[in-house]
Amino acid sequence: MFQLFTPIVDLIRAILSPITQQLLQFIPSDWLGSMPALTLVGFAVIALVVGIRWNPLPVSFIGVLVVTIEMIVLDPVSSFGGLFVRDAFSDFFIYIILIVGFLVLMSSTLHSGDQGPYNFLLLMSFAGAILVVTATDLIALFLAWELMSTPTYVLTALSPNRGAVDGATKYFVMGLMATTLMIFGIALVYGVTGQTSLSVLSSTVATIWSSGPGLSPAAYTLMLAMILFVISFGFKVGIFPGWMWVPDTYSTADGSVTSYLAGATKKAGVSALVRILMVAFIVARLSWAPLIVGVSILTMVIGNVLALAQRKIMRMLAYSSIAMMGYLMIGLAAGTELGVAAAFFQAFVHALMKTGAFILVWTISVRLARDVTYDDLAGLSQRAPLASAMFAVLMLALAGMPLTAGFWSKLILFQSAVEVGMWWLALIGLLNSVFSLGYYLRVLKYCYMIEPKDGSPLKLASVPVMAVVLCVVGVIAFFVFPGAILDYAIGAAAGIVVP
Amino acid sequence: MLPLGILPFMLILPLIASVIAYAVRGRAARILTLTVTVTELLLSFVLAMAINPAIISGDPNAGMKYLWNFVMGQIVSGGGSTELQIALGVDGISVAMIVLSNFVVMIATISSNHIHKSEGLYYALMLLLQVGLIGVFMSLDLIGFFIFWELVLIPMFFIIGRWGEEGCQHAAIKFFIYTHLGSAVMLVAFFVLYFVAVPHTFDMIALRSMGLPPMVQLGFALAVFMGAGVKLPVWPLHNWLPWAHVKAPTPGSVILAGILLKMGGYGFIRLGVWMVPDAFARLSIPLAVLAVFTCIYAAFTAMAQTDLKSMVAYTSINHMAWVLLGVAIGTATALQGAVYMMVSHGVIISVMFIVAGQLKYSAGSREIPQVKGLMVQAPRLASVFIFASFATFGLPGLSGFIAEALILFGSVKVYVWTALITLGVFLTVGYILWTLNRIVFSDANPEKPVTEAPWSDLIAPLITLIPVVILGVWPDLLLGLVSPVVSFIVGGVP
Repeated sequence: MFQLFTPIVDLIRAILSPITQQLLQFIPSDWLGSMPALTLVGFAVIALVVGIRWNPLPVSFIGVLVVTIEMIVLDPVSSFGGLFVRDAFSDFFIYIILIVGFLVLMSSTLHSGDQGPYNFLLLMSFAGAILVVTATDLIALFLAWELMSTPTYVLTALSPNRGAVDGATKYFVMGLMATTLMIFGIALVYGVTGQTSLSVLSSTVATIWSSGPGLSPAAYTLMLAMILFVISFGFKVGIFPGWMWVPDTYSTADGSVTSYLAGATKKAGVSALVRILMVAFIVARLSWAPLIVGVSILTMVIGNVLALAQRKIMRMLAYSSIAMMGYLMIGLAAGTELGVAAAFFQAFVHALMKTGAFILVWTISVRLARDVTYDDLAGLSQRAPLASAMFAVLMLALAGMPLTAGFWSKLILFQSAVEVGMWWLALIGLLNSVFSLGYYLRVLKYCYMIEPKDGSPLKLASVPVMAVVLCVVGVIAFFVFPGAILDYAIGAAAGIVVP
Repeated sequence: MLPLGILPFMLILPLIASVIAYAVRGRAARILTLTVTVTELLLSFVLAMAINPAIISGDPNAGMKYLWNFVMGQIVSGGGSTELQIALGVDGISVAMIVLSNFVVMIATISSNHIHKSEGLYYALMLLLQVGLIGVFMSLDLIGFFIFWELVLIPMFFIIGRWGEEGCQHAAIKFFIYTHLGSAVMLVAFFVLYFVAVPHTFDMIALRSMGLPPMVQLGFALAVFMGAGVKLPVWPLHNWLPWAHVKAPTPGSVILAGILLKMGGYGFIRLGVWMVPDAFARLSIPLAVLAVFTCIYAAFTAMAQTDLKSMVAYTSINHMAWVLLGVAIGTATALQGAVYMMVSHGVIISVMFIVAGQLKYSAGSREIPQVKGLMVQAPRLASVFIFASFATFGLPGLSGFIAEALILFGSVKVYVWTALITLGVFLTVGYILWTLNRIVFSDANPEKPVTEAPWSDLIAPLITLIPVVILGVWPDLLLGLVSPVVSFIVGGVP
């Protein structure tokens, strides 16, 4: 399969190979696969130290860029005795995390980006997220999960918003509960199989499931563990049982942190779910598929119905991102290579769309010094034409209209559902998508069709707006060339889904 | 001759011009848009003259000419690979529709001379709309078709909502959601068709010649009815139309009635009788009943309207029911009539909407009882109005008559009871003459004087009346393009 960026990657590798060869002598080969995460930890510490005296944001930028180059030049290998593995699948998600991370840092120039602790926590969380998507062992996954989550509890509380501590507390308490359930699930799995490695686990599950039509007690225990995993990892993704923190935390947290939560940690949760469901429990697909279908439908409906009722844009976007994850679960419910690839593609596109949207709303919010409501958007097309146009593109992308990559992501998701005969699920998804126009179009209506009360131009900070421009350009470019990402998504899916 | 070939060039030209129009703003945007739309119209004339509509039997492309495709992405799974692509190609019917849409967009641009709010954005959206519209008529791939089909909604939504009248925002959202709902159902059907087809494909030509299972065809036909029926519109799905048409600005109404509704008719022909002819043959009676009912129902409703624009909006439901009747009957005569009706109605209704919009400026109101003595006070506007009204109810010698005659000759031969649709004609003549009586031939009300429309506002309707007359006296001009395709459709799958 032709992958668009391969020549560029080869070129960079060739140019940097002398330096790489020199540096490789100093790195233990067992660490090589985890070097991106380890580097980020190093830069986090540097940022903390630099932050005592100077603005540490440049350090963070350099850190993310260095890690991106490392990702390109280092061979994807396993590290720490196979606990963390870089393969096509984890690389796809690492790039999502790095792109989102870069955009989030750009948006951090608005607020608190000049503080050492903020940068430290953010970079530590990036490192954790990278480890989550590479982890192939339940214990390693758990540790990485905590490394990713713990800094975000603090980051959400650091927001200038008055309700920030409320939101952060809700997030923290529910996060702890999710963690507890996760440990319980791991304990159950370990108790039944004596394994924590996901690949070994998959063969054990196969043996248990092959033992005849009546499921054994071991199988029931594993199914309970599976439900616990869906709940606890789904908590971060914001799908059905654990979605309740999402609107409160997203709307009160610092907008940059919100875009990180929505753009990156959500995707880390998706990757963890995919690893557990599609790698460890793939044999039990028929057992968990109805569960995921139910979760998917409930998540879509809850997200869309509640989003319609919101007045604040941040909360509306939070609910809409719940709904988007419901669409994504359709791909997992289909459980085929196409379905998983569609889910990956949706993860990428959603990262671009939601990061851009959250950063944009946050920029307006900082400029107005209050939560943005629909009324604040009135006449935005005259007060800030560029911001308004970008908002329009992002909303249409979220609604899945053509000329934006959101069109393809929904199209392929629904296609994957129809492929396995679940045309009704695709229809439910499409009806939800039509329903969601109710609130996306409301944004467009306020931006373009209602005259502003105060027609003075609204000048927005330029660096975050640049970040949004990047997102919008990406969203449009990947409509014309969806193949650029889709090929990688399919490659990533083919790597883990055994046909 | 042209870079990329004529079809993609016709699509890309307005797309690029759209970005430029947004950048240059103001009067320059209007001049640019006029230039581009006139160029597009000339290009489509060239296309109409260059194309050889004849179809040789056994043609693997089903008579499609000027094929071109652009692969956007590939889905490789399970050993096979599927292209996500935009595939273009035209036959006689498509060319007729492309000429019509370029013509109507040009007329709408000329009649946009009263738009002064955010001109840059307005003309950019207008050009984007043109891309979507002609894209629909060119597409030969279900995915590409769907992209253009949905693309049309975005600029139309903004044009209705931003430049429309009081209450237009609600109308815009209603329009968007209503039509998107229909398309959603259609999309699921596209996927089902894709997976039923062996090998899996979205290619319309391949799907057509595949001989799909009858039940799948039937399901697909019902889904097309949902998607295209909303656009057309057919009776239970027509609710958005009066809102959108009345609240939209005049050029918006012109495009809505002139081309957007024809997308529905074209959807029925291209996705329906062209692609799944067997299913439409089975659905013939229910569709014909629905068409006759819609026609009469819309005629009665139109009679009850007091707003002239609203009346014209219901008139277009009334006339589009004829198209559905033609499609439902599916014989060569009826199908030719359906296409003829789309083209003729597209131009006639444009004049009607422009006149209705002009009344607002000349008389200060569009309420039929409020405006009086048009003939005395504004003879030029009144003459155009009278002429367009006669064309609307199908006066012999004008294009509407030929369309109705063709459909009626086709349908009565198959189901004699479809002659009931002439009740619709009868009513239409009635309410239009009644309206003329009230507005044009009444005594002037000195308290509400009517000013004459300036010539600058009458350019657009006068140009539009030219094809009405030409098509009325020289039907072969259009039928020459259409009839080979129609006989190909009626001939069944080669």
